[in-house]
Amino acid sequence: MTSMRERVALLLVTACIAAPFAHADAPREALITSQLADKVDVIDLATMKRIGDVAVSGRPAGIALSPDKSTAYVTAPEGNELIAIDASARTVLWRLSTGKGPLGIAVNPRTGVIYVANWYGDEIAAVDPVTHTVTARVPVGKAPSGIAVTSDGATLLSADREVDAISIIDAATMKRIGEVKVGEHPFAVSIDPDGKRAFVANVVSNDISVIDMATRAVVETVKVGARPYGVAFARGKAFVTNQAARSVSVFDLATYTSLATITACDYPEGIQASADGKSVYVACWADNELIRIDVDSLTVDARAETSDGPRAFGAFLR
Amino acid sequence: MNRIIAAALLTALLPALAIAHGPSRKKEVTTIEIDAPADKVWEIVGNYGDMGWHPAIAKTEATPGELKKEVSKRKLTFKSGAVFTDTLTRYEPDKRTIAFMTNDEDHKELPVEGYSSTISVADEAGKSKVEWKGAFYRGYMNNDPPPELSDEAAMKAVAAFQKTGLDALKAKAEAAK
Repeated sequence: MTSMRERVALLLVTACIAAPFAHADAPREALITSQLADKVDVIDLATMKRIGDVAVSGRPAGIALSPDKSTAYVTAPEGNELIAIDASARTVLWRLSTGKGPLGIAVNPRTGVIYVANWYGDEIAAVDPVTHTVTARVPVGKAPSGIAVTSDGATLLSADREVDAISIIDAATMKRIGEVKVGEHPFAVSIDPDGKRAFVANVVSNDISVIDMATRAVVETVKVGARPYGVAFARGKAFVTNQAARSVSVFDLATYTSLATITACDYPEGIQASADGKSVYVACWADNELIRIDVDSLTVDARAETSDGPRAFGAFLR
Repeated sequence: MNRIIAAALLTALLPALAIAHGPSRKKEVTTIEIDAPADKVWEIVGNYGDMGWHPAIAKTEATPGELKKEVSKRKLTFKSGAVFTDTLTRYEPDKRTIAFMTNDEDHKELPVEGYSSTISVADEAGKSKVEWKGAFYRGYMNNDPPPELSDEAAMKAVAAFQKTGLDALKAKAEAAK
């Protein structure tokens, strides 16, 4: 139970999160891993049209961007590869075998180091973006899927799906320094904009475990729809894609109260909010679409066609 | 008795919670036109308590009273003797749409994991168009699968399962009209 004082503190924290980022620009493009087509689609967000694609192989799933957003890093779980793409030229720059079944991916915002979760290897690999080599491997729990890095670049989290836990890793030393038990089969983990809390989507228990980063304890469990896949944040709200419920759950970041359940599409998966907080974008695996949710009205206000089987598991807006 | 079935189903489902899903899900969409009213076809295919319209299914054990309740479970026994359990994930009679997902599969019957089916019946000028959308993982939950548990084996098996089912649904609905 949270005390009144903690509630007030949370409200204050959330008020800060909710303050609009005055200088944050709206993204121009979405880079979507269309897994069944073996492609990364480029969607122009102003027109919501596909304007290009990059052929890859190995069933691309996860995606993250370099800190300057010029390079996209894509995981290919069936090719056991990390693939770097020049986002402007839309060409493959380099490929690297990282281990067994790379899926989740994140980039350290301070150092540019790329982290890849090897689903079948039960480890996180750190990849140097300049030398294109694996510089460290850290063993985690069975079947790591989603990963996230704090905005100060100090801490890395991995959702270890088969052991119902989150691993906490020190990014500087690449040592596993802790573990937090969460709900059943955590798939994705996202850290809120001020870095205080981690939100974990549990695909089997159909809920979100909220972890306080300072105390490393679960402080709240929020019920969402069937088979939650990803979490994004915009203007004081959390947005969760529910794969099997064809919906996006929206709840308040301060009070955890449900604000809406938006009918989205068939198999909503990868989700990310624009930096200006106006829109949330969702990849729809079964419908081959990227949809845009208006954060104020909580309605779907645009749809773009993608190639077959879009997943966009990670950060895909630039 | 209902409670016993429910308990048995629950126990049967527990091992499924330990199964991992690999990273690459596949799709298969099968459609058919049926010369019978949509409501008539929906009456057959929308009944979660009886999947006997599919020629491969010998017995359906569901919890009476929960046939329209999302996340209720059932046990399907195939004519081969194989047993699957599944979950009702969507029941929308106004859209004539039902969806269910397997939790516990016998790979000798179908080499798949986490096979979800969404079946919709649309009215087309007094006749019906039925769409069966399958989403599934192959049976082998690691890289480098043996041929009998590969993506190709899963896709071939699901395509055949859905076609056989819709062909039989057509025959049954058209005979009954």
